[in-house]
Amino acid sequence: MTTADAILTSADVVGGYGTVQILNGVTLKVARGQIVALLGGNGTGKSTMLKALSGLIKPWSGSIVFDGERIDGMRPDRIVRLGLVQVTQGKEAYPAMTVEENLLLGAHVITGRAARARGLERAYTYFPILKERRRQLSGTLSGGQLQMLCIGRGLMSEPKMMLLDEPSAALAPQVVLDIFRTIFRICRDGMTLLMVEQNVRMALLLAEYGYVIKDGVIHLEGPAEKMISDDAVRLSYLGGTVADRDAKMAL
Amino acid sequence: MSYFIDLVIVGLSIGMVYALVALGISLIYSGLDVVHFAHGEIYMLGAFIGLWIFKTFHLPFPLVLLGSMILTGLVGMFIERVFYRRILRGGGGYTVGGMAMVICGFGMSIVLQNVAFLIWGPRAVPFPVSYGMPVELGNITLPAAYVWIVAAALLLMAALHLFLKHTRLGLAVRAVAGNKEIAYLMGINVPMTISVIFGVACALGAAAGVLVGPINYVYVLMGLGILIKAFAAAVIGGFGSLPGAVLGGLLVGVIESLGAGYLSGSYKDIYAFILLIFVLMVRPAGLFGVLAKVKA
Repeated sequence: MTTADAILTSADVVGGYGTVQILNGVTLKVARGQIVALLGGNGTGKSTMLKALSGLIKPWSGSIVFDGERIDGMRPDRIVRLGLVQVTQGKEAYPAMTVEENLLLGAHVITGRAARARGLERAYTYFPILKERRRQLSGTLSGGQLQMLCIGRGLMSEPKMMLLDEPSAALAPQVVLDIFRTIFRICRDGMTLLMVEQNVRMALLLAEYGYVIKDGVIHLEGPAEKMISDDAVRLSYLGGTVADRDAKMAL
Repeated sequence: MSYFIDLVIVGLSIGMVYALVALGISLIYSGLDVVHFAHGEIYMLGAFIGLWIFKTFHLPFPLVLLGSMILTGLVGMFIERVFYRRILRGGGGYTVGGMAMVICGFGMSIVLQNVAFLIWGPRAVPFPVSYGMPVELGNITLPAAYVWIVAAALLLMAALHLFLKHTRLGLAVRAVAGNKEIAYLMGINVPMTISVIFGVACALGAAAGVLVGPINYVYVLMGLGILIKAFAAAVIGGFGSLPGAVLGGLLVGVIESLGAGYLSGSYKDIYAFILLIFVLMVRPAGLFGVLAKVKA
């Protein structure tokens, strides 16, 4: 991959919360139209990296370039306007708003009435269940439906690229499969994706390229099919993160 | 019986005024997790600005009301932008920023009182609007002022409801009230939206001041009493809940009016708080409240 076809690049991003440094220099690249997985266990810095990309935290040093513009330190709403949107986890839908209100909220940067209606139709095509439930408060949806709602909400701003924050979190395997299928469809229709996941196997099946983050730096990277099959050591390492997740769920 | 109905109607119209101020307090609370203690002075400012528009331009009352709401709303946005925003950058609620904001609100209320004192002086002035003839409803005769208050307040509440439910900006206001971080991720300009929340809340306070002006005098310290009553109304309804603020305001108004009519007028200010204590004993979160913050 050359820098020319990269839509998102980060170089040596260092950052954290308050005085606690979490990211110790993260460098990664996502090409236009590509699905990239960012993997790692709990507390390795993947969510922090996501926040740096979407603007919720300001990197202390390093640079992030999206579609030819420096976005490190930019306010999150301006980053959304540039076409980079973070899809929240399902639990972060607004429970006291209806499904349709949540979706329309995603289209905040779109002002045209017709364009907003088109966005709704698009979201409903990917997730027909949301259309059935559109007058319901989103607090009444199941976990899987909430995740669909959040992905649909992300689509509403007509982004060039989406950041997915653990779309499989706390969902049953069958539901995860459903959601990943739709994510794949969305990408086939031209979306670029960076996905943070703990469900390593699923993420690597979907993605073309993978990064593993550990202690706030990129620990290893490579094409997804290579990562998933090649190295026994890597697999056991990746397996470890899955065990972490299962242990967390058992709690 | 007609005495009772008279008292209820007077109570309801005063209650509408409390409700408008309580709506503003609740709106700011739901958006910023802070209580705005200078809101009584915004109400006073609204009344004086309305009086100034009335005397200078001789406009009809609805335009005076609208003009005062716009101007006071802009003053509120200015105060938020220049003074409160720096403090609230540290967060609202039980943070250092939230506590500082409460103190800053008290300070702002003293500043606004003194500014008003310098401009308009210490005297209570009448607001000489003529509402026209009393309105006859069956065998009850109502002073037109009360009808005006109720009608205008209902209209404003309906407008607020439509704004929050059916406009893009209103949806953004509710999103910011619910969760600022997620609102940012939706592409919402959160600082600007907070300014809007402040502007709308202050406009509602101003409307209350202008509406009450003609049945009361307009004076510099008129904000003191209303803040406490509106605060009680907001707590009774469930803090941060907008329907709760309206219901709380009406309840406080009616209880106060009935108490003054049947028991004693000299203890008028106590009844609201007896009601408050009673409601908090039975439902500590208020009538419409849940113990967690209500997401508008």
